[in-house]
Amino acid sequence: MTLTAPIRPDPAASAAYPLTEAQEGLWYAQALDPANPILNTGQYLDLRGPLDLPALRKALARTIAESEALHLRFHSGPDGPRQWLSSEGIAPRIVDLKTHPAPESEALAQMQADSRRALDLTADPLAAFTLFILSPERQLLYERIHHLAIDGYGMVLVTNRIAEHYAALTGAGPAPTPFPPYQRAHDEDAAWRASDRRAAAAAWWRSAMADLPEVAGPAPGRAVGGDRFIRESMWLPVDLAALLEDFSDRHRLGWPDVLTALAGAYLARWTGGECVIGLPFMARMGRRIARLPCMAMNVLPHRLRPDEDMPLADWLAAQARSFREARRHGLYRSEYLRRDLGLIGGSRRLYGPLVNVQPFDRPPVFPGLEVGLHILGAGAVDDLTLTFRGDPQAGILFEVDANPALYTPKDVAGHSARLAAFLSAALKAPSLAHVPTASPAEIAEAEAVNATGHPVPDTTLTALIEARIKASPDAPAISFGDRTISFAELDRRSAALAARLSALGAGPGRIVAVALERSLELPVALLAILRAGAAWLPLDPDHPPRRIAAILSRARPAAVLTSPELAGLFPGDAPLLSTTDWPLEGAAPATPPAPGDLAYVIFTSGSTGEPKGVMIEHRAIVNRLLWMAAQYGIDASDRILQKTPATFDVSVWEFILPMIVGAELVMAAPGAHRDPAAIAAAIRRHGITTLHFVPSMLSAFLASPASQGLALRRVFCSGEELTADQRARFHSRINAQLHNLYGPTEAAVDVSFWPAAPDDDSNPLPIGWPVWNTRLEVLDDRMRPLPPGLAGNLYLGGVQLARGYLGRDDLTAERFIPDPTRPGERLYATGDLARRRADGAVVYLGRDDHQVKIRGLRIELGEIEAAIMASGLARQAVVLAREDRAGDRRLVAYLVPAPGYAPGALAPRLAASLPAYMVPSAEIALDALPVTANGKLDRKALPAPEFRAAGRAAGTETERRLARLFAEILHLPEPAPAEADFFALGGDSLSAVRLALRIEEETGRDPGLGTIFEHPVLSALAQAIEAEAQDDGLGALILLADGDPGAPPLFLVHPAGGIGWGYRHLARRIAPARRVWGLQHPGLDPDTALPENLDALARDYVRHVVALLPQGPVHLAGWSVGGIIAQAMAVELAARGREAGLVALLDSYPADAWRDEPEPDPVAALRALLAIAGHDPDAHRDLDTRAKVVAFLRAAGTTLGALPEPVLDGVVRLVTDTNRLVRSHRHRPMAGRLTHFRAALDHKDRDLSAAMWRPYAAEIEVLEVPFLHSQMTSPEASALIAPELARRLEGY
Amino acid sequence: MTLTLDKMRADVAELIDLDPSEIGDDDILPDLGLDSLRLMRLVLAWEEAGLKADFGLFAEYATLGDWWREVVQPAQAA
Repeated sequence: MTLTAPIRPDPAASAAYPLTEAQEGLWYAQALDPANPILNTGQYLDLRGPLDLPALRKALARTIAESEALHLRFHSGPDGPRQWLSSEGIAPRIVDLKTHPAPESEALAQMQADSRRALDLTADPLAAFTLFILSPERQLLYERIHHLAIDGYGMVLVTNRIAEHYAALTGAGPAPTPFPPYQRAHDEDAAWRASDRRAAAAAWWRSAMADLPEVAGPAPGRAVGGDRFIRESMWLPVDLAALLEDFSDRHRLGWPDVLTALAGAYLARWTGGECVIGLPFMARMGRRIARLPCMAMNVLPHRLRPDEDMPLADWLAAQARSFREARRHGLYRSEYLRRDLGLIGGSRRLYGPLVNVQPFDRPPVFPGLEVGLHILGAGAVDDLTLTFRGDPQAGILFEVDANPALYTPKDVAGHSARLAAFLSAALKAPSLAHVPTASPAEIAEAEAVNATGHPVPDTTLTALIEARIKASPDAPAISFGDRTISFAELDRRSAALAARLSALGAGPGRIVAVALERSLELPVALLAILRAGAAWLPLDPDHPPRRIAAILSRARPAAVLTSPELAGLFPGDAPLLSTTDWPLEGAAPATPPAPGDLAYVIFTSGSTGEPKGVMIEHRAIVNRLLWMAAQYGIDASDRILQKTPATFDVSVWEFILPMIVGAELVMAAPGAHRDPAAIAAAIRRHGITTLHFVPSMLSAFLASPASQGLALRRVFCSGEELTADQRARFHSRINAQLHNLYGPTEAAVDVSFWPAAPDDDSNPLPIGWPVWNTRLEVLDDRMRPLPPGLAGNLYLGGVQLARGYLGRDDLTAERFIPDPTRPGERLYATGDLARRRADGAVVYLGRDDHQVKIRGLRIELGEIEAAIMASGLARQAVVLAREDRAGDRRLVAYLVPAPGYAPGALAPRLAASLPAYMVPSAEIALDALPVTANGKLDRKALPAPEFRAAGRAAGTETERRLARLFAEILHLPEPAPAEADFFALGGDSLSAVRLALRIEEETGRDPGLGTIFEHPVLSALAQAIEAEAQDDGLGALILLADGDPGAPPLFLVHPAGGIGWGYRHLARRIAPARRVWGLQHPGLDPDTALPENLDALARDYVRHVVALLPQGPVHLAGWSVGGIIAQAMAVELAARGREAGLVALLDSYPADAWRDEPEPDPVAALRALLAIAGHDPDAHRDLDTRAKVVAFLRAAGTTLGALPEPVLDGVVRLVTDTNRLVRSHRHRPMAGRLTHFRAALDHKDRDLSAAMWRPYAAEIEVLEVPFLHSQMTSPEASALIAPELARRLEGY
Repeated sequence: MTLTLDKMRADVAELIDLDPSEIGDDDILPDLGLDSLRLMRLVLAWEEAGLKADFGLFAEYATLGDWWREVVQPAQAA
């Protein structure tokens, strides 16, 4: 039996016609996605009152019979798609839901289900009618017709026709004139195709749409309609409808044109003041198809760039003229125009949102019934479709339909309510310029977010700190290295220095400059300046003397506090006061500052070519610091790490907040702020609770093994965008709160905050909410408030605003402007782009100018350009911050050289006047700077720099590795040559951190960041690394992690293979409380003879250990065979009269456990290498030869795989030899305690337990960790094991 | 009242801001700015003045001449 029915052509199919132009586009859309039901257009009438059911049935039957289009069928033939009229009838269904418990929702569900079913255009009727009887007084009449057979106006015709027949049948009206035959659609189409007007219209549209900019809608993303849409509907308020009618009549404009143009003006606000909207056009007027149910409508693209200053009525009249002109050519299909303009494929489109005014779409009149009209769907929704149904008299139903791939229901509701408000406001406004995009409700919501009023004492930093000094004089105030001073000591020193400063003329209104490295003296200096009543001005000793001199000449400080080593940086006449000359005794002067006096001045990069000094008053910074203390509960129990350079305003809270709340200020070592290992060590050593990172440094810190498992109270980020990725990485490694802060120097450090908690899934991460007494305003270019979701300029208001720029009233006036809505108040124009989220939180989007940030450092490109021009080496110059690779932003200078220029000549000249971070990492000489057609600099045409170095190819093993790593980190196209300079090739301190990390990963040894800075040239760096490696890289003893030399060290005995580097994670977690040494097998050197037995090896190791450590307990630990050796060493130590301290075995079992096992083959021994490298050997059973194992290890980028060939040979030899050593070993009992860590997830097949050691140790302590044997030295296992070891070590 | 061709011309001209002399019998009215909403207004006014003809029928023709020959004359003759 066959299930395939024979296909019989419909008899009427022989009379098939081609599709009309109007149908073609829909046909192809449906053919491309046959399962998509979106072209089922549908609606229902809500009929209330007593229905004459037989009359309605008859009315439906008559309507269906005379609407020929409903009977269309389609098929695809050799000459393209064809249509014909099927003889098959369409029977309306009656569904009685009177007894259903929820008849209305049931009816709607059935309609939904029917509409969601895609049709088979060949076989299925294109239309369906269902009457749902909900009750004797209520019926829903559902109509569903495929878009190929009907358009919006056609649907009106059919629906009204049902009502007309019903009226006639119930004796309430005349019989209607029958619809014309469907043949007319073909006739009109043929006439149009043959008409001259068609070619003329095509030409008109091509010219009207020439140079069409890339079309976008309000939401970013690809506007391709799916199989559904979301809708928000509302009735326009009656007074708005009246306003619309009145305005239109008064200005002799058609109200649909007014509505369309204003909706377009609203949409243009979302796309930079310009948009292309699609206007559905009936395409029936004056045509014989005017009253024929069929598909005729077209969509006309309409370009719109409102002149917002023009009187509104004039602008609307111009729009109406433009609509009229477009309609004259409105029969030319937009699908063809799209093709003509080459806008096919990809995300290219002809128009964005649709604006559809349907004056005729009103409920039909059924005599004796009350009728409601509900549109279910009217075709695909690619972007937004704004539909206005009805007219001002009858009421206007406003629907926003949206593509759910681009808009959330909340977005859609927002557009609906906002556009209604926009229309109301616009119709009352003299011009569009007066109409904000945000609705009054949204303006009120933003106002609520900005309602940050909070009482803050009107006081000064000086007063707050002096009060704290009195409150807790004995508490530790500042630590630096091993030194800590109390608040009383801080009081004494700062008072003495303040007295001297006062004598030098410092006092309220004056400035004192500070140029000191991080030290105990630096915070003392800041407090002394505050106590003298003056403002501090930080200077960076790394800046060029010329820049420092320029700043000093503007600030005219009463004194410059510095150290003898730095004195040479300053001009001869600078009033220096060196640390060596600071007095130790003296009373603080009685010249306290007032809240309105300056607290500090910080210079930032200025676009005019010179840095500008931001003046912050006490009142402003007091608000910021007291907010922070209250917001995060920072108090005397905290220890805050000071690691931000004093010239960066983040340092202000690091320095001052501890002095206000009584917390301990811990000064990081100079240079430590860019060294992750040093930062982590400082956090662990000092029990830091609070610190700050610029996000790019946080990234580097998180990538460093040293940051794993840190626990502290809170980490703050600011200075650049904190990413969702950084948030996730942070919480996976560090146990602490993470907070994102935002603010320019001009508004007292930070003005907004966002908790980046582990459960925060925001992406992008907002800059958040305003701090106390602060406003965040997102305004457009005319300073009008913007709604959530729309990008604009970020303005700041409130008490934290700076007084202005020192000595630059012109710049101050430019940036600090009068608040247009709050007389007497100021706003600071940040130059940052931002938008609000629906919840009111602010999201940072970038800069609107040429200010850039590189690793949190604020740079005005104009300042660099000015410096290039001042060098005399260029006739023209432009500087870009290029991000040719994600996350790797570099400054590139483009210049048209002047005589005297030579490649590479620029950087040294710039270094004389600019800080190092502002010197471009590449310079590119061009014959001319590229310009666009309108003569502007064409930034996009500036070439990407090629960081490439020439010279001798890398030779030695280490050089080749570095060549590869340089290329990897600097994104070079090929390995770097031996003479390559890491920094000249674009490297910076962050990439140097990455390089150090990669070198460590590959060699197991951290070269130290300092080594890279000291030896940036590849060959020299290779030499430096080799020089260090010769000592200990493969020696018997290697220092795995440095720590307190006074504490007895821990020795970690190598596992099979003889190498100790695998313990580095463990070692880093034990240090810096003590040093951690690795013991390595002498047999790594293939020329060294293998030991006689395991005891001989242990004796050898004990000799090394006691030579290093002449007295005290010897702490030992080892993994696997390393544990067996450690136990043997403990026995040997006792024999020599030395005491073993901790003896810890990481999943080691006595030789007895192996002796009776069958001898493993050499391949099995080789596979043990996989375990040593941290892989589960059972997961790689295919690696069954030496070559395969070695290749796998090399490809996996493991430490082992990176070993030089002879060493790897040595490792293989030792692995193979392990079996012999272990099987021949006879354990001797040790006197002390043996601490055993069992890999609890392993040993499923064998009963291996710590108890097996019972004969060989006086006492056994058993711990279990949830890992496999092969994972025991992994970072994760180390995180569990290290604290246990550390606690036990402290007991000795 | 009987609708004349010139009365129709004057009413259309008024509605689309043209002088009656600018509208010829064969000019395409939609091209001159007559849209369906304005046509509706026009037909409603003519109906009030006594014309018995369907709005939809007017919409099927694009010129004053066609309106006169195909819609108004047959209606007034009936």
